[in-house]
Formats: sequence, structure tokens, C-alpha cells
Amino acid sequence: MNSLIEELELLIFDWEAGTLDDAGVQRVREILSTSEEARTFYVQQQILNAALKLDVNAGLVPPKIPDPAEKALAIESRLKKGTSHVFRVSYWAVAVASLVICVLTGRLLQLEFLRDNQSRPVARNDIGTRKEQKEPTSEGIALVTRLVDVAWEANQNSHEVGDALSPGRLAIKSGFVQIEFFCGATVIVEGPSELDLQSPLLARVRSGRLRARVPPAARGFSLEVDDMKVVDLGTEFGLSVSPEGTNVQVFDGEVELHQLDVETRLLSAGKALIRSAEGDYSETEVTPDSFLDIATLESRVAGQREKRYERWQRWSEELRRDERLIAYYTFDQDGDWLRRLISSLEPINSELDGAIVGAHRFPGRWALKDSLEFKRPGDRVRVQIPGEFNSLTFACWVKIDSLDRWYNSLFLTDHYNQGEPHWQILDTGQLFFSVRHKADDVRGPAVKEKTHQAVLSPPFWKPSLSGRWLHLATTYDADVGRTTHYFNGNVLHEESIDEELIVKTTRIGAASIGNWSIPTRPDSEFAIRNLNGSIDEFAIFAASLTADEIKEMYENGKP
Amino acid sequence: MDQNENSEQFVQQLTENQTRLYGYVYSLLGDHNRTSDVVQETNLLLWQKIGEFHPKKPFLPWAFAFARFQVMAHLRDRKRDRLLLDAELAETLSGEAKRQAEKIDSVREALRPCLQRLTPTNRELVECRYFKAMSIADIAAAVDRTVGAIKVALLKSRRRLAECVQKRMAAEG
Repeated sequence: MNSLIEELELLIFDWEAGTLDDAGVQRVREILSTSEEARTFYVQQQILNAALKLDVNAGLVPPKIPDPAEKALAIESRLKKGTSHVFRVSYWAVAVASLVICVLTGRLLQLEFLRDNQSRPVARNDIGTRKEQKEPTSEGIALVTRLVDVAWEANQNSHEVGDALSPGRLAIKSGFVQIEFFCGATVIVEGPSELDLQSPLLARVRSGRLRARVPPAARGFSLEVDDMKVVDLGTEFGLSVSPEGTNVQVFDGEVELHQLDVETRLLSAGKALIRSAEGDYSETEVTPDSFLDIATLESRVAGQREKRYERWQRWSEELRRDERLIAYYTFDQDGDWLRRLISSLEPINSELDGAIVGAHRFPGRWALKDSLEFKRPGDRVRVQIPGEFNSLTFACWVKIDSLDRWYNSLFLTDHYNQGEPHWQILDTGQLFFSVRHKADDVRGPAVKEKTHQAVLSPPFWKPSLSGRWLHLATTYDADVGRTTHYFNGNVLHEESIDEELIVKTTRIGAASIGNWSIPTRPDSEFAIRNLNGSIDEFAIFAASLTADEIKEMYENGKP
Repeated sequence: MDQNENSEQFVQQLTENQTRLYGYVYSLLGDHNRTSDVVQETNLLLWQKIGEFHPKKPFLPWAFAFARFQVMAHLRDRKRDRLLLDAELAETLSGEAKRQAEKIDSVREALRPCLQRLTPTNRELVECRYFKAMSIADIAAAVDRTVGAIKVALLKSRRRLAECVQKRMAAEG
């Protein structure tokens, strides 16, 4: 095949794939107008394309994707019945004749479909604005399941346990990351390492040391190094990549080493191979101890968790004596709870103990610590917090399973009287805080004045956060009239309160954690607001905490 | 001749030659949707000219003449759209396209055994691309290869298919 024909072949291929640019189109025309051979070749290629297409249409290889044409066919077959009497000929001719009719009506139908297609995006947009019509999506190819002493590379997003990883670079300076690929393979990466995550089944290793455990269900998981592909056949193996070469060690099962133009090598348990930078192979000893395994990592994680729990306990002991605190529940009490949520404030004041209604004890941020799980519409903790205050800060550690209600309660006073705060999460994932400024207008809703300023954050919630411990905080500065929302120690949203709606004196009284005690009013327009999730620390301060203080709370409390 | 009988013959001819018309029009337009449109327009035109149809007259050259007319009209009308060929080139290629389109059924017959001779992986690639109409990028994502790798593999498979088809047709002819 000469080079002109080869060039044309590539151009026709690109045209067919829809990727040929204008210069390419010009080039096709140039070639075709100069060479007879090219013209013959061009027509051959196009006839081949047409033949491939006709085979699909003939149903030899039925397309898997539903096609509007199928609908048209179904309609045509119905039409056949109505039109066949036109031709008083033998049966097969009727079929053929109606095919022509159908070709004609088909054209009309196609025009219908075209019009349909053009109008569809508009319709879709209409639907798109209705949230429930759109199936939520999440992205990622793997999950971060454990982190021990990890220092991320400077130009690398840092990740938390539970984060989903999208295709792309993953680079750590030191420490260990355990990644679970969606195919089921678990990889422990030891810093310094640099990986390029490609798919649920594939990652490229640029440098570093890692250990992969691949259960049978994840067979076929591969790691690429340079032009070599290590394909796992259900096993456990170690891989270390440095400028000097690549070391593959199989601890259990078998792996295949694939390389372009080189015969595939099979490496079985107890075998190790070094591939030098020059591409030579040499056998070596397996050294499983030099690759951290899952069990060891687990015990290190446990050690780290214990340290974090102890750190939180020490910090929490200090906090109890903070004079700004007006309510504090650590959910860390010994023995039988007897349906009481003990106030952790010092000096001890049992008047502040909460009454647990429905909610159940559940593991908290650490195995040694408890939380309360709110599930059913009645679940709540009732509290009674007397006094009048000025500024306020609410903070809690919460694990949200899902946001099922329009309003998902964190902390709501029983009614919504003057000076009372409401702290909750909307189903859109927005944090909501407001303090009631004016009493309800007795003249009715028609002439209702604005009674409060609801401060809404942008949505912080996404389904992938489900089941993870999150730190939420909101400060209300009554002096300057400012509300600030925080998520995991960082400012999420800040908003000034309208001069007219600033509340100087705040009060709480009877209130609920994780729900709302519906006021017994006949015209009650309020619905179920229970939280679907768990809370394992809850604090209210009679002051507006600074951003640094919120950050400190998060850092000392993160699991 | 009985008019019904005439219609019957016409319909039979038109049906038999649909694939050839498709091959001819596609060679000149290089786009499946436009080809379907133009073939249907041609059918409509032929149907209107049924009076000129005579069973003794060769059908295909007559039909090709209408198809050519429709293709040229299409190329002129859609000047602003992106098309592979211009009207002038299409005229130049029309003769070759007719010659090869006449034999498209032999190409289709040869395709099936030729497809079987590809390696299973390559056959799957061809099926994904041409039968399931998946984009190259989607195929690449599905099989964990780069777009470049899929393109090379598809080009090679196509070349093998084309060579195989030519060989089989030469043997038959």
C-alpha cells in the first residue's frame, strides 16, 4: 500500500469516526482529484462502510442500543395491515409493496421523529429542573479506606478516609494509603510514591512501593509500569518501582507480566523478578516483609485511632471548663445510659441532662466511644436550656445517612418564638440557621412581615459523604449581625443579617437535638424533621467562636 | 400490461436494489443519516415515475440516474454543511461508485466469513465500532486502552477485512 493510499485510509477512518477537521476534508478532496487509484480505493472503503452498516440494519447483528428506527418499524408493521389491500397481488408482493409504502410513510415518520428529536431537549430541560426526575450520580474508580501518617505531595489534593478517587494522579511524600479499587482489589501504597489511577481495574505506577491484594472477584486487575503490564490472576503481590528498575514479587497466587512484542511471563508464588532500567530481567528473593500488608496497616490505623481518641478526650476535658459553654454533650458516658444524655459541662449540672426519646446507642467516631442514632420520625433528645444570651455558636459531629426530609434537624427549639434559634440541614444539602426576630403576626399570613433571616449555606452534602463523620458548626454574632457556617473546620458561608432582623437577645428553653417537637397548634404547617444519622458530640456556646477556634475543634476531634 | 403486475415488478426491483442504492449514495456522501434520507427521496421519486418504468428495461441504471440526481441536489443544497466531497468530485466518482455499488451484496456476503477470521478481540472492536456504533473514546474507556491504541487496532482490522473481502470477491468473480 503506498503512502498516499495509507494517508487516505486514515483520513476516511477519521471522517467516519467524526473526528476529521476541515483541513483533513480538504486533503481528502486533494488526494481524490489527483489519483485514479485513490478514487477506486476510496469507493472500496465507503462500500465496506455501507456494507457493515447494512448488516446491522438487516438485523444480522442486532444493535444493543434502543434505536428510534425500531419504533418506526413497529409502527410500519402496524401500517402494513391497513395498506395491504391496495395491491391485490400475491402475499410476498404485498409485503414488498407495503415496504415501498413504508419507505414513503417511513420518510414521513422520520420527519416526525426529527421534529420530535428537536423538541426533546426543551422537554428534557423542563424535567431536569425537577430534582426527583434526575438520578443522582457519583464519580470515582476507587475509595481511600485507610490513611496512616500521610503527607501528600504539594500539588496533590489531600484526601480523607472514605473519599472516592477519580482517574488521575495520586502522589504521597510519606506514610501509607490504602486504596480499594471498585473492582475489589486493595492496594497499599507506601510513600514516596506516585500513581496514575486510570480505571477501576488499572493504575499506572510511576514510582514507589506498593502491595496489592486481589481477591478472585477482582482478577484481571493490573498495574502498568512503563511498557510492562502486571496482570493479577487472583493473588497478593508487591511492586517496587525506582529509576534503577522494577521489582515484582509474588507472595501468593500468580501474576502475568505483559509487554508489547515480548512473550507473556507467568510469575508464581515465592518468585520475584527485577527488570532493570535497560530492560533485562533477573530473578531475586521475595521479601514480603518489605511490603506492608493489610493486617499490619490495620493495626497501625488502630494505633492511630486510639491516639486520636485520646487526643480528643484530653481536648474535651479542657473544653468542659470553657465558661462560654451553655450546653455540652460528649456522648462518652460509661455504663447504662438509662435514656439520659448526661451533660458534660463542668461544674456538673444534671438539670442540663437530655432525655433520650427513641434514639439508640450506636458506635461513634471511635470504637470506644458511643453516639446516638436518629432514624425514626420520633427519635430525638429533649433538652431544657435556661437563660438569655447574646451571640451563639452551635457545633456538632454528625454522621448523616441521608437527607430524607425537607428540613433535617440538628437542633430546634420547640416553638419558634422571638429570640429562638433553629439549626438544620435542607434536603438540598444546605446548612440552615436562623433566629426568630419578630413574633408571628396575628393578622395572618397575608400581611406577614419577614420574621427572621434564614442564612443558607451553599450545599455541602453529597451522597458520597453518607456514613462519614462530619463536623458542622454555625456562629451567630449578635453584636455585628453576622452568621457563619463551617464544614469540617472551614468556612462554608458567611452572611450579614439585615439591620432590622438582628436579634440581640437569644434564648433556647425547651428544645430537641435531631428532631423538632411539633408545637401543638392546630394550624401547624410543619412536618417531620428527624435526622437520619448519628450525632456523637454536641456543643452550644454563648459566644461567636472565631474561625481558628472552630478549626481547632475540628482538628482535635477528627476521627 | 396489467397495471398491478407492473407495480408488482417495480416493487420487486426497487426492493432488490435498495442495498445497491444505499452503497452508491453512501460512497458519495459518506454519512449514514444523509444517505438514508437521499435513498428515501430517490425511492419517492422513482415511485412517482412508475409510469416510465418498464420491466424489460434494466432497472438499476435508471434508478442510479435518479439517485445521482438526488445526491447532486443534496450536495448543492447543503453547501454550508460539512460534507466530505463537493459536487464536482462526486461527479468524478459517480461512475466508480456505480460499478462497485452493483457488487455490494457480494461484499456483504464476503464480510461474514472475513469477520470470523479476525482475532476475537479485533472482531469485538469492529462489532463495538460498526455494529453498536460506539465511539472510539467509549471503546477505549471500556477496554482500558488509549484512544490511539484502539484506532490502530481498528485500522488494522479494517485493512484485514478489506483485503479479505477483495480476495474472496476476486475468487468468486
